[in-house]
Amino acid sequence: MRSYEYYKPQTMQEAVGLMDRLEDAKFIAGGTDVMVLLRQKKLALKNLISLRNIGDLVYIDKKDGLKIGSATTHTEIVKDEFIKRFYSALNDATTHLGSRQIRNVATVGGNICNAAPSADTACPLLVLDAKVIIVGQKGEREVDIDDFFLGPNKIALERGEIVKGFHMPQFGDNTGSAYIKHTRRQAMDLPMIGIGARITIKIGKSEVRCRDALCTIDTISNVLARLQDEELEIEDARIAMGVVAPRPIRAKQAEAALKGKVVSEKLFREIGEIAATEAQPRDSIRGEAWYRKEMVKVLVRRALMRSIDRVIRPDDTIYPERLW
Amino acid sequence: MKKAITFTLNNEVIETEVDPKWTLLYLLREVLEMTGTKEGCGYGECGACTVIINGQAVDSCLYPVMEAEGRKITTIEGIMLKSGELDPIQQALVQNGAVQCGFCTPGMVMSAKALLDEKERPTEDDIKDSIAGNLCRCTGYVNIVDAIKSVAGGR
Amino acid sequence: MSSLTKVGQRIPKKDAPLKVTGAAIYIQDMKVPGMLYGKILYSKYAHAKILKIDTGKAEKLAGVRAVLTGADVPNNFKFGFLKDNPPLKTGKVLSARDEIAAVAAISAEIAEEALDLIEVEYEELPGIFDPLDAMKEGAPLIHEEFKSNVLKLPWKLVAGDVEEAKKASAYIAEDSFSTQWVTHCCLGTSGCIAAFDMNNNLTMYSNTQIPSLAQNDYLEALKTFGLKNKRVRIIQCVIGGGFGSKLDTYAYEYIAILLALKTRKPVKIVFSREEEFFATSPRQCTITKISQGCDKDGRLTFREMEMVLDNGAYVSWGATTPSVMMVPISSLYKVQNIKYVAKCVYTNNTYSQAMRGYGNPQATFAIESCLDQLAEKAGIDPLEIRRINANEPGEITPQNFRITSCGMKECIDEVANRLDWKGKRGKHNNRGVGMASLIHVGGAARVYKSDGCGTIIKMDDNGKVDVITGSSEIGQGSETIISQIVAEVLGINIDDINVINNDTDVCPWDVGAHASRTTFVAGNSALGAARKIKAQILEVAAKNLGEDPQSLDIKDGVVFSTKDKEKNIPLSKVLRKVHYSLGGRMLVAENFYDPPNENFDQNFRGNLSVSYAYGAHGVEVEVDKDTGQVKILNYIAAHDVGKAINPMLLEGQIYGGGLQGIGYALGERMIFEKGVLKNGNFLDYKMPTAKDVPPVQAVIVETDEQAGPFGAKGIGEPGLVPTAPAIANAIYDAVGVRIKDLPITPEKVLRALQEKGKIA
Repeated sequence: MRSYEYYKPQTMQEAVGLMDRLEDAKFIAGGTDVMVLLRQKKLALKNLISLRNIGDLVYIDKKDGLKIGSATTHTEIVKDEFIKRFYSALNDATTHLGSRQIRNVATVGGNICNAAPSADTACPLLVLDAKVIIVGQKGEREVDIDDFFLGPNKIALERGEIVKGFHMPQFGDNTGSAYIKHTRRQAMDLPMIGIGARITIKIGKSEVRCRDALCTIDTISNVLARLQDEELEIEDARIAMGVVAPRPIRAKQAEAALKGKVVSEKLFREIGEIAATEAQPRDSIRGEAWYRKEMVKVLVRRALMRSIDRVIRPDDTIYPERLW
Repeated sequence: MKKAITFTLNNEVIETEVDPKWTLLYLLREVLEMTGTKEGCGYGECGACTVIINGQAVDSCLYPVMEAEGRKITTIEGIMLKSGELDPIQQALVQNGAVQCGFCTPGMVMSAKALLDEKERPTEDDIKDSIAGNLCRCTGYVNIVDAIKSVAGGR
Repeated sequence: MSSLTKVGQRIPKKDAPLKVTGAAIYIQDMKVPGMLYGKILYSKYAHAKILKIDTGKAEKLAGVRAVLTGADVPNNFKFGFLKDNPPLKTGKVLSARDEIAAVAAISAEIAEEALDLIEVEYEELPGIFDPLDAMKEGAPLIHEEFKSNVLKLPWKLVAGDVEEAKKASAYIAEDSFSTQWVTHCCLGTSGCIAAFDMNNNLTMYSNTQIPSLAQNDYLEALKTFGLKNKRVRIIQCVIGGGFGSKLDTYAYEYIAILLALKTRKPVKIVFSREEEFFATSPRQCTITKISQGCDKDGRLTFREMEMVLDNGAYVSWGATTPSVMMVPISSLYKVQNIKYVAKCVYTNNTYSQAMRGYGNPQATFAIESCLDQLAEKAGIDPLEIRRINANEPGEITPQNFRITSCGMKECIDEVANRLDWKGKRGKHNNRGVGMASLIHVGGAARVYKSDGCGTIIKMDDNGKVDVITGSSEIGQGSETIISQIVAEVLGINIDDINVINNDTDVCPWDVGAHASRTTFVAGNSALGAARKIKAQILEVAAKNLGEDPQSLDIKDGVVFSTKDKEKNIPLSKVLRKVHYSLGGRMLVAENFYDPPNENFDQNFRGNLSVSYAYGAHGVEVEVDKDTGQVKILNYIAAHDVGKAINPMLLEGQIYGGGLQGIGYALGERMIFEKGVLKNGNFLDYKMPTAKDVPPVQAVIVETDEQAGPFGAKGIGEPGLVPTAPAIANAIYDAVGVRIKDLPITPEKVLRALQEKGKIA
């Protein structure tokens, strides 16, 4: 392995300046991807610029939505109760990423900028309408997360730019989100398929009648059946899919088909079928294409069910998790 | 080109010269000859190299040595009590039959230590989560989880 | 036996403090002064001609001390069971793990850099990766000199008359089953340091499980290399897991020896994790046809099995696993008419070796899955058919196994009760229960001419004891078990015993840590030695106390008269008496235990083991019909162990074996594409994590095996033998689909459910 210089800038400007000045350089954050590539000799370079010591890249700001610094570790996100409550999909994704050791150093910015189709935080950020805040020599710019992924390991970042953070709008108590990671093991695994979903209904949580139906440990399926005449109309929805295309994508036809409809398990089943037509998974040693496509159908439905559950029921821990 | 770094290792200040391409694990094992920390895979997929950095369990095989600068690092060699006795976690692993070939054990100790330092009364799920990144092929994990539980309960 | 104070106790493992502190020295941690680092270049292809190897650039790299190719291997040396494997290949490569060249350098990094500088030109040849293809007429020959891809190993067992029994059967079930390649995944990778002294005697720092046999292998190699009359010393470092992976010698060991010879320096080769995955020898995949029948009451009438094993490119112990497959095939349940034929076939895949269970898991998967099919045909509860046919003490099986202690029925009942079999069976509500039983060798296994192990016990001046044993500690706890046995006999504390078990210059001979034999054989050997030295102690003490030796005993390190407790003398004083007297002596005892078991004869008959281990596993699963995922809700593993010398360590064997079995059943597999391993890392080889552990109960059934030390039988392997069929049977109970090909992935379950839906 060739030796390289290792720079530890303290500010964003310093980091950007180094990248501008140095040849054959790459940013490194938690290092859980870069260090692996270096060891595998899949990456050889002269300079590494560490983003780990830039305080301005680490923040979780809860005013007017949610703003997360790119060098924030997964562990910090997992611990945040506000994120768990209002940006649940992001909590789902960070909770089940890698191992404790990995989450302690791996950053959300690194996960996104590595731009793997299997990046766990991609689907949540897609369904939570995140904007990517990018800093370069010329200042700051903003890109919609959906426009940020260009392909495998390709992102909309110019040379010398870094991702400062991810900013998400505020969601009221009429919104719920979820991310389901389909894996072979319970930990230390990449998703065979990752599905993110968000649902925003027209009325607030407190306006949902039939409270007694909600305070049960029953499955959401049965709860929804009992809430039939509630007419929970969907104002807005997002579905994102990982490992079904060269980059994490949104299932836009499925999203459109949800808008204005009344929540029901039957609807979600149909939406799963639509989303599956938008998915083009491949065969790999990690999973077979036909199976992945089947799982899109199942997991889109389940992610939507879990999202609506999180809107209408106060605490998702009171009923048993039926998905593992 | 070697670079000088200073950090705290097991409560001692270490000043040393490192090649920036080294991992922390390389420095520990090959240079400082502290072989208690093991390398099981080199890719952060088995946890045998777990150390505690500023209170958090980290795979030292993926940790750039240059980031050690100014940080507080604890390895398996720094876990025993000052009296020379085993730490309660080590004691519990011994007493519960949680050690077989032992290659994963130092990493297990470090992961459990980081958990118990952070959370006095972890749940079984917390325990399993904290060592899910530490692969063990011998024990089936049952006695390891029981051992950590016994320390958590006993505190 | 209630007077036992050491045996039967949950005593912590003696080496555990060393391991929890990181003080244990594994081969990875070992350094020898002046040591060089060796690295190996492997083939790019699974089957190719080597047209040219240019090592010039590598040799010129600063820090490189030697570069070897096949041309440097003296006298056409080959190793392995059929001596078909050269440590460095010339002419042709037969698998993607074939060693092409090797480098020794002053650092591991330089050695690796040098590998990149070696230029090899290949001409790729079409490969054979499916044993069925390899058996076809006109298939290209992997080893031309053998004239056939089918190994000349006549695995054929016939007992009774299967054809007649078929006619007489009321019900017959037949089907095909297959299993996958899986690997050991020792957390500590393989490695060695080869060092020669000035007289060309070899010292090998190693993590072998078979020091005495490896010693012999190396001696043979040295002879072929032209070094006659040399000595080989093997020093075992602490071993980071075995599971059979270190039961044979590998090319890397001979390469280290050759590099050390060439450089006149110690050479260390330690595998990276990738190498550990692709360059050690895994459990082979099998294709099995099975047919079993029973009479109208469910009594088994016959069992017929035909098996094809993918041997891979070279022959190691993998090719002999049919010998152990025969154990369940001939003797799991009472069945008189048996026919079994197995073919081991050369392919261009990796070559197979021993792995925990040694063929038994593959055979038991077919037998126990098929038994549930038979039970269904006969309309008998799978629990009942197992109870009806369960083995019993006193039985002589078709292979002439003499069943002594046997707790099979107790194990089956434990499983049924703890699972609530009656309450949970047959609900078909996505939840189901299943079970499977096992038989395995439990009192050693005479696979070599000897099955022996030696022990030397010496006492020192302070009344402390050194136990020098031939057996190897590979994590299983043998040194603790042996200490407990010796401490029990001698009436001393575990801590007063020091076990020496890692140096062939010191330790007596043993055939290795395999076949679940160590507690039984090394335990019996130590027991005999302890009794001998005890007799010596009592004799000396008797003289000093003016008592008859028969009336003396030892407790807590003190020899006392059973008639008059006032009359006593501490062991340390006894020892000082013998050391510090005119005409003094030492207190040393030796004992060699070779069990009274038998090699198979030509017809594969013979009492392979002195006693047999039994067990049953039961499992409750829940199947997610949408995703095909299987969740284990409850797992019961009941084992007849004779006597638990140390219940805590024994449970550890069951838990550990069980989880390996669950990995085998539900997820683990080596994925090869054209003979190249595609998932050789811990991310993609799905070995279970702590979060994958289901609720599990280890149930110990004691049957007091008369031939075992304090009644004990072996337990090293049984824990993973019946796991896969128990799970497969539970899935069938839950959702009505039977998966016959391991591992039972969600894909296979979902596809089977979809197919079933189409039919229904």
